[in-house]
Amino acid sequence: MGFWEVTQSLIAGLGNTCLLFALTLVLALPLGLVISFGSMSKFKPLAYLVKVFVWIIRGVPLMLQVIIIYYVPGMMFGTPILSRFSAVVVAFVINYACYFSEIYRGGIESIPKGQYEAGKVLGLTRTQVFFKIVLMQVVKRIMAPMSNEVITLVKDTALARVIMIVEIIQAAQNFAAYGLMWPLFYTAVFYLAFVGILTLLFGYLEKKLDYYKA
Amino acid sequence: MPLLEVKDLRKSFGETEVLKGVSFTLEGGEVLSIIGASGGGKTTLLRCLNFLETPDSGEILVNGERVFYIDEQTGKPVTVPGVQNIMGLVFQQFNLFPQYSVKENLTLAPILHAKSDKAKYRQNKKEIHDEIEQQADEMLEMVGLSEKADKYPCFLSGGQQQRVAIARALMLSPEVLCFDEPTSSLDPELTGEVLKVIKDLKSPERAMVVVTHELEFARAVSDKVIFMADGVIDEMGTPDEVLVNPKSEKTIAFLNVPKGY
Repeated sequence: MGFWEVTQSLIAGLGNTCLLFALTLVLALPLGLVISFGSMSKFKPLAYLVKVFVWIIRGVPLMLQVIIIYYVPGMMFGTPILSRFSAVVVAFVINYACYFSEIYRGGIESIPKGQYEAGKVLGLTRTQVFFKIVLMQVVKRIMAPMSNEVITLVKDTALARVIMIVEIIQAAQNFAAYGLMWPLFYTAVFYLAFVGILTLLFGYLEKKLDYYKA
Repeated sequence: MPLLEVKDLRKSFGETEVLKGVSFTLEGGEVLSIIGASGGGKTTLLRCLNFLETPDSGEILVNGERVFYIDEQTGKPVTVPGVQNIMGLVFQQFNLFPQYSVKENLTLAPILHAKSDKAKYRQNKKEIHDEIEQQADEMLEMVGLSEKADKYPCFLSGGQQQRVAIARALMLSPEVLCFDEPTSSLDPELTGEVLKVIKDLKSPERAMVVVTHELEFARAVSDKVIFMADGVIDEMGTPDEVLVNPKSEKTIAFLNVPKGY
């Protein structure tokens, strides 16, 4: 089993890793915002309900959530509802949306009340105030915690192999059956490259948003 | 008919009654200064006028029309939609939008208002933007900050920021422009430039309500002065009546305090 053969297999596995990463981000970023609105709702029953939900999702291991979402519908209805990959995506999106929602909440609550009031006395609607005035300031403030979460997500994708998704770690582990351990260590190179690119990207974004201080 | 009429405005926060029945009138073009010790209800009154707080009871009339009242049947407060545009407010803390340039701070709200009439906006997009930008340039010139148009608020001094905030409020041509202690968070050497701008704004086109601790300024610029204490208007009259020859004991005590130490 040569180096190139292993590399090719790992790159094939990396495809699933990247797909899971991208889908989770694209779906969990907006969903997290919705959840943060729920947890900040003035309608208290909704706020409590959302807080309990976030507690459960953040309190149970993501690996267990993947297993539950994939197997439980099958156990209840006799046949799985979601494909393996969809189940993983659903579990990841819900889990990450909950973490994101708390980051959003922290960011939104850190914006001074005066910003909302200034918008209001200028006759803007609540929606306009949020999207035109507040959101951009929130984005700047949450960049650092968000980059943490996004980097964690890269490595969490490895949990998908618990229901036989062949992502990069699983692809490497398959070689263990042939007595090869080094492909597993080799995956670290891919993770480091992936996270390296993200770090540069976040650095660039933070610099872009540094044109003003607040 | 007065431009603004406030009748028996009351407001409590929890157990604390902050406004205990405030009534006054304001004519078009008039400048009203509200003075008094902290905690007297000045800022709350101003916030009620700008609908940032909802009064518990009372009425606000603009040009004789009720814009705020308590519905007799439901007992609930009613704010007539759209009345925000009549009022403008300049905050103690400026509250400029940090991510927008000075000029964008001015044009943001007018552009969003123009966009709400979608059909008209689409047809005359360029004219509307040109007009708003031209107006912004004029306002910035008026407050003496034309050269800062493309700067971001964080690079401006407090006095400059407050002048931008004034220009921003003027963009919507409010009939009543309110100032909530506009110089209280400024270094002493910067208050002058802001007070001068406010003074120059005095015109028949707009009435102004200024909550301030600057008594000299209040005397120079106001047509009417209100002294507020403990949630009521303790004394009201011309600047000379209230500031020079006050009758109420509380007013006399307040006016003497700064000289006492």
